[in-house]
Amino acid sequence: MNLKTILGLALGILGLAAGIFVPIEGLGLPAQITLGIFIFAAVFWIMEPIPIYATSMLVILLQVMLLSSQGFIFSVRTAPLAETRVAENGALVVPASALGEGGEVYLNKSNKSLAKVVPTSVEAVGEGKVALRGKGLDGEALVIADPQHRSISAGANSYSDFYGTLASPIIMLFLGGFALAAAAVKFGLDRSLTRVLLSPFGKRPAMVCLGLMICTATLSAFMSNTATTAMMMTVVLPIVGSIAPGDPFRKCVALAIPVAANIGGIATPIGTPPNAIALAALKESGINISFSTWMVMAVPFTIALLVFAWWMLLVLFKPEAEQLEVKLSGSFDKSAKAIAAYLIFAATVLLWVTEKLHGISTTMVAFLPIAILPALGVLDKKDIRGFSWEVLWLVAGGISLGLSLKSTGLAVWLIGLVSWSSLGALGVVIVFGVVGYLVANLISHTVSATMIMPLAITVGAALASVGGFNLAASIVSITAIISIAMVLPISTPPNAIAMATGIIETKDMAKVGVVVGVAGVALAIVFGLVYWPLIVR
Amino acid sequence: MNQIYILCIDDEADVLEAVERDLATLENVFPLETASSADEARGLLERIKQQGDEVGIAFCDHVMPKETGGEFLSWMEATPYWKKTRKALLTGQAGLEATVSAINNAGLDFYVSKPWTREGLVQAAKRLLTDYVIERDLNPLPYMATLDAERLSAHAYKKGLLSDT
Repeated sequence: MNLKTILGLALGILGLAAGIFVPIEGLGLPAQITLGIFIFAAVFWIMEPIPIYATSMLVILLQVMLLSSQGFIFSVRTAPLAETRVAENGALVVPASALGEGGEVYLNKSNKSLAKVVPTSVEAVGEGKVALRGKGLDGEALVIADPQHRSISAGANSYSDFYGTLASPIIMLFLGGFALAAAAVKFGLDRSLTRVLLSPFGKRPAMVCLGLMICTATLSAFMSNTATTAMMMTVVLPIVGSIAPGDPFRKCVALAIPVAANIGGIATPIGTPPNAIALAALKESGINISFSTWMVMAVPFTIALLVFAWWMLLVLFKPEAEQLEVKLSGSFDKSAKAIAAYLIFAATVLLWVTEKLHGISTTMVAFLPIAILPALGVLDKKDIRGFSWEVLWLVAGGISLGLSLKSTGLAVWLIGLVSWSSLGALGVVIVFGVVGYLVANLISHTVSATMIMPLAITVGAALASVGGFNLAASIVSITAIISIAMVLPISTPPNAIAMATGIIETKDMAKVGVVVGVAGVALAIVFGLVYWPLIVR
Repeated sequence: MNQIYILCIDDEADVLEAVERDLATLENVFPLETASSADEARGLLERIKQQGDEVGIAFCDHVMPKETGGEFLSWMEATPYWKKTRKALLTGQAGLEATVSAINNAGLDFYVSKPWTREGLVQAAKRLLTDYVIERDLNPLPYMATLDAERLSAHAYKKGLLSDT
């Protein structure tokens, strides 16, 4: 237990209590509890006293226990019951105070759920009591005494809503991506593709670097950025080994990989987890972006930034060598299972990009590899266990937290602290983009997206309803900005891997990260205001 | 993160000094602990285990007064906590029989014959430590700069040890 851990634990738990118990003007109890959970999660995600996926699991636990309509606080069990008796004519006599504003009464259904009943007839019988007739109003009925009770007024989500985030279509989309990636890794498809893609780039350093960046970005668009970086390092390290020790080009190659992996993740919906958070937030607002639409938006952006980064790397680390040794051994695996893997991969991607023709949604197509690959024996038990399940927990925890932020009105209250309408579309994207960029450089991109997206979508939805603001384009813009935060080794796992090789120093990474990052932020804002609104409404 | 130690056991002080000098390049990441007998080494191992730390390689001299290196490495091999530790025999005079027995019973991974070259010893240590980190499925990042980064990243990628979080 070091100081940081103890401090993180203390601050997180203190934040949870403060959010719940410090009364805030204009916030109801559900919103206060959500605020407590939000502060707790933010502190735990930033200071990491426990792993970030464990924090995401705790978020769901806290929501189920404290915020759900079956939990400790908002359960119908906690509501006081009224004194009732059955009159001789069969009507149910209850205190008049049990009637709500619309003349309805609330019943406790065996301590599990709440039922709202509007009586067919109501007559006053004196002593502040009324006789009710209606469906279910008999001697068995458990009438709740106070129609204003928190279990009624909170409008809490059922606990299954929070659990349900783990099976949301966006999670299935990512699971499909995991299945494809696992098959690609298992049969070396990614390595084989790299070999084929690299060969036309020859032996001149600048071209080799471009080839490596294009391969990395392409692979990381479909696989995890981190796994892609680890794989490409096995390709790059021998190349680095063949370059003279004093040649700056060593650093150029070692940095090209994480930079390209981070940028490549933006290109498709399954490229990197922040995209999932953004898609889930947009889905909540009734906007569905298909795989092909996302690619039409993001691929030009990715290419532009990748070319800029390539040029920048060559300027900063000018190669001295004339020729490079690029030797990649191996050949395509031609076993039956490998061929099946290639075919399923191709079929899935093809179905994804042709959604306009067949109308089967992106998240439904994603289940094809999940089911078919194990059915054909391409993936086995061990491969399925090898998926990055913790990433799915992170995304689910993020979606779940977003759910409460929205339904308890906390998000609306939080953004009410700033007058957004005076900022306009450009101002909103800049504010969220810059904050997102700064945060994402210091903590996990997925967590940054989790904390920023519910707020951005709330502001965006409010502005979009007035008009003159393109919600989807702005959210994609903010998501892209989060992905290009790569100034420090701790900014992204690909950066950490590149740093761990010992080829580069932190200042090299920071130089490239700042230049490419600032250019990327500017580019994302331009795309978000000019080009993307032409594609999504 | 657990500390991974290199352990060296020899009854001759100058051999220990030579190993210490030759493996100085690894010292920052893999601290070296030395012992002059099998008993002393057991005490060291107990302390390392108490701290929750690990031993990546044990270099052990074969010809020692009370207990031979082969016997000591066999004991390590039979102790679950030290089973994954890479075991190297460090000697110029073990007979064929003793060597064969060490390979068969002590899970011997490497044989260093005296006199060794610094280059050879460092290379062997790096290779064995890489094997150890891979077999333990440890997070490879702290070790990549010191060991075989290519093999470590290949393993991490195959096993999915690193994810996008």
